[in-house]
Amino acid sequence: MNALTASDVSVNSDPKVSGKPEINRGKPEINSPPKIKSGPALHLDQLSLSFGDNMLFNPVSMTLTAGQLHMLTGANGAGKSSLLKCLAGLMPHQGEICWLWPENSSDQVDKVAYIPQLEAFDATLPITVEDYLLASIQPRIFFRKPPVKEQQRLEQLLSRVGLEQKRNRKIGQLSGGERQRLLFARALAQDATLWFLDEPMNGLDQEAQGQILQLILQLKAQGCTLVMVHHDIEFVTAHADQEVRICDGNIMVVTPAPVDDGLVVPLGVAQI
Amino acid sequence: MIMQQWLASGVEQGWLPEIFQYPFVTYALIAAVMVGPLLGALGTLVVVKRLAFFSEAVGHGALTGVAVGILLGEPATQPIAALFGFCLSFALILHWVKSRTQVPYDALVGVFLAFAIALGAALLLYVAKVVNVHILENVLFGSILTVTPNDLILLGLISLVSWVMIWRYGNQALMSALQPELARVQGAGGRRARVTLLDYGFVLLIALITVAAVKIIGAVLVGALLLIPATTARLISHNLRGFFIRTLLISTGSCVAGVVLPMALEIPIPSGAAIVLLASSLFLVVVLLRQLGWLQTQANG
Repeated sequence: MNALTASDVSVNSDPKVSGKPEINRGKPEINSPPKIKSGPALHLDQLSLSFGDNMLFNPVSMTLTAGQLHMLTGANGAGKSSLLKCLAGLMPHQGEICWLWPENSSDQVDKVAYIPQLEAFDATLPITVEDYLLASIQPRIFFRKPPVKEQQRLEQLLSRVGLEQKRNRKIGQLSGGERQRLLFARALAQDATLWFLDEPMNGLDQEAQGQILQLILQLKAQGCTLVMVHHDIEFVTAHADQEVRICDGNIMVVTPAPVDDGLVVPLGVAQI
Repeated sequence: MIMQQWLASGVEQGWLPEIFQYPFVTYALIAAVMVGPLLGALGTLVVVKRLAFFSEAVGHGALTGVAVGILLGEPATQPIAALFGFCLSFALILHWVKSRTQVPYDALVGVFLAFAIALGAALLLYVAKVVNVHILENVLFGSILTVTPNDLILLGLISLVSWVMIWRYGNQALMSALQPELARVQGAGGRRARVTLLDYGFVLLIALITVAAVKIIGAVLVGALLLIPATTARLISHNLRGFFIRTLLISTGSCVAGVVLPMALEIPIPSGAAIVLLASSLFLVVVLLRQLGWLQTQANG
């Protein structure tokens, strides 16, 4: 896994197939809302994953454009979550993955979030929502009242994810939706601009799903790069900028379109 | 010295029991006051990271460390270098193997624990030819009679290093324990080494604290005191601050009472045993009170 800046590599410039990394250098585009921050593009070079002789997916080269919502789809067991973990650097793999950050800053590598499927916390741990977020904000252990600046930051985060009323609840006693929102708040606390989301709405009710969707759309509007595993095709069609489908061990880019069958573009043309 | 004089004057004036006139009691108390909070602070992380069994295994590995130290010619009452070296190597190897195998962690720790005890038991026969084996009891289960001013200096240094590490990296360790995958992904891109270092730093702390507490609590019982106060405090705390403070209070209280009570009541038991017995008793009392509903309100905030 490499974390490079956009200037470190050159990419196939045919926008029809490659989706050249859209690097936001702070200049707002005409007729589009200014973006507050921008996530990186992800470049995959001959990425593949195998367990022994069993190849989960074949080598693929492609670029996931910066500042967009990319959805990974496929049948159960196709390897969606494994691909996501590879992209996040959580799983050993073959080939190269580059995160192409828009700005040349070493701090960017910390701005990465990974939201797993519904995660359980130990219900008896005496750690409240407020403790959890303060520990994310504060670099060091302090057991006094946080300074005004950090308190304000905490309030902002709680308000952003709608957990103000749950601030004193133990994290293990939160409902599924609240827990996911807490994980979002933690990543927001670190100003994440690259988000890996592994079916974050799984097991949530309609209301909780709506709240998570709102957060995702806000992040997208801000220019964050989001890579998300999802199984609901309607949802993918409605919200994805790009769908990456895993089918029989092959990874394909599917251009989402408001019809049932999107345009399937075979990969192998977007290599460095 | 100042504390010793103050305690002696307290004895002369009659408001302190006679036991405080002895310097070794003063040294033991100072050691208890330093070790208690340190074990408490680290204990909160041990419980959150679910490393209780790990710290227990490192403590038990001390038996082998002590035996190796004596065989290599270290003083029988103070085989510090071998003890630290063995505990650290033991913990590092265990942690390294853990990160490279699919074996469940509890099973892996169990194997290492059994190996360490068996090796220690095998070496004891050779140790018995060099020193009286009963001397080992002081190292394994603690004895306030053996604390010297030099021990206090070593303890002070270890405490300083440990507190700096806990203050500087405690939050990161906590968050990494709660969500290891997020910590790893944030450590990607050249900074993953920092996350790994954090893990190994924690292992180093466990080894350091085992050495720090060897005189008062004994190497074998250190693991218990890393676990029991935090487990007790967890039952009666609603937030992190309360959890931390209560753990420190229970740990320090157990250490001080475990040093003083056997002396005051003239009960000839090792200080480590007394400390752990007190901490365990408090845990049982808290469990009982919670069962009776007396602590329910407090626990629920």
